[in-house]
Amino acid sequence: MTHGKLARLLDTHGPRPERWPPADRQAAATLLAASAEARAMLAEARRLEDRLGAGLPQPAPASVARLKAAVAREIARSPLPAPPGRWSRLLAALRPAAPAGWGALAAMACCALWLGLAASPSRVGDPLAPLQTLPIAEDSL
Amino acid sequence: MPILLALPRLPLAAAVPATDRPAGLMARETASDADLMRWSAAGDRAAFAVLVERHGERALRIALRVLGDPAEAEEVAQEALLRAWQAAGRFDPSRAQVTTWLHRIVLNLAIDRTRRRASAPQAGEAALAALPDPASGPEAAAVEAEERAALAAALAQLPARQRAAIALAYEEGLSGAEAAAVLDVSERALEGLLRRARLMLRRLLTP
Repeated sequence: MTHGKLARLLDTHGPRPERWPPADRQAAATLLAASAEARAMLAEARRLEDRLGAGLPQPAPASVARLKAAVAREIARSPLPAPPGRWSRLLAALRPAAPAGWGALAAMACCALWLGLAASPSRVGDPLAPLQTLPIAEDSL
Repeated sequence: MPILLALPRLPLAAAVPATDRPAGLMARETASDADLMRWSAAGDRAAFAVLVERHGERALRIALRVLGDPAEAEEVAQEALLRAWQAAGRFDPSRAQVTTWLHRIVLNLAIDRTRRRASAPQAGEAALAALPDPASGPEAAAVEAEERAALAAALAQLPARQRAAIALAYEEGLSGAEAAAVLDVSERALEGLLRRARLMLRRLLTP
């Protein structure tokens, strides 16, 4: 592992080895054991980690309490949740086909279109139909 | 539609189908998030209150870490929770966990709010303004406050999505996969956001 790759590893996953990809751990440990520069990079990453761990803002308890009270107040006077609309229901019905991708949905749409067109009355269904239009002997011409 | 809105509402209990009603307060408090959301969608305000009790603080914390301003974070978290209530009927448990869905609403609103701001580095300025007077307290507290303000100022310079990635990565109990799902990106993309964010923070915070 190079120093550049270690820097990337530290920026991507932080300084804790348990968060590093297992495939990189041994190579990183070897570099850290051999290089003072690598150890300095790790120390710098730890400093940033500690600052973020301790310094990211936390909401004040009063603020949390205010939020919960405000939401309860608003919910009490707001309308009930709207039921899912027609589109939501349609999408939910089509969702089982989603893992197969858009191709499956397109194929379903083509099938539906084909069935819709095929359902229209057709004269091809009765092969003797043209004969019924022919005049028969008893007919007066 | 206005006529429908003007109609008197049925009592709360009647809004939840009898076959799908929690047996009591304890039932709600021990129910899963998915059940609570289902009851909420059926109009059970008490079920939604339990969800707010469980997840409201984290929603506020995420908003605060993206926005940097406590008052704005409170507004955004409140708006997100109210939107979640109104959209409870559209929540689909087969697509996401309740927390992922809820935190995504919070995060999207917070990021939108950040982008709409006239001046981006408000968070850092707010933190600097909140600094205690070094003469008024112990020296260590003043140094700590100064470091927090410097971190807040550095965070405020990050793009909103990188700040959101940092907020989620340092959220206890949230896995990388969940954080990526909240941000609606792949885990690899989340790692990219975190890498760029840490790189920039190191540069900004190194004297």
